[in-house]
Amino acid sequence: MNKHKKLAIFIAPFLMVVGYIASDYYLEYQAQEDQLFQLNVEGDCDVLINQCVLSAGEFKLNVFDVEGATTVNSTFPLDKLTLFIVDENNHSSPYILTKQQTAYYWHVETPLRKMLSSSALPQKIRIIAKVKGGQYISEFSTKEGY
Amino acid sequence: MENNNSYWRENLRLIFICLAIWFVVSYGFGILLVEQLNVIRIGGYKLGFWFAQQGSIYVFVGLIFWYSAQMNKLDKKYDVEE
Repeated sequence: MNKHKKLAIFIAPFLMVVGYIASDYYLEYQAQEDQLFQLNVEGDCDVLINQCVLSAGEFKLNVFDVEGATTVNSTFPLDKLTLFIVDENNHSSPYILTKQQTAYYWHVETPLRKMLSSSALPQKIRIIAKVKGGQYISEFSTKEGY
Repeated sequence: MENNNSYWRENLRLIFICLAIWFVVSYGFGILLVEQLNVIRIGGYKLGFWFAQQGSIYVFVGLIFWYSAQMNKLDKKYDVEE
């Protein structure tokens, strides 16, 4: 092994470490910037039978109802989650969800189950999830579960 | 003296080429162009993801031998080999 090979083998790990640290800084900086993403419904959405998944790439939200409490489970920890129930006049009532032990599960009491049980029409819902400065938004309709 | 300067210039050129390849592979392929490269799949893996996890390291190891071989050629050309 001559001096050039020794030098290159000595330098390479430092470059790898520098690259790793710089990449980490870059990705952290990128994650802090405000970004808006649209969540799309996967297949049919029915909150009452635990069949409502919204997704944008790797980020997924599962929206379901547990005895009148609208519950959301996400693939990434959330900073804030707000749900809006939209009526037939397009007026929306906001519900701020609270964390359930971890930032992956959020819930709030809503009249969603009652509304869906008393009406045959689908219910329009909007959702805003905040993750490290990024905002995920969606407007979707849930069918009646019965 | 002129020979020394010329040797040094070629040496620096080689180092800059290595650093450029290092930057393109680690930042370019692993971060900046990751989404575009992820469209391509090799062996079930997304190409951008593969570059970030493994590909860049393979290229770095390749660069060690390439740099060494190029420097040996340069040493021979300027008659300063070990």
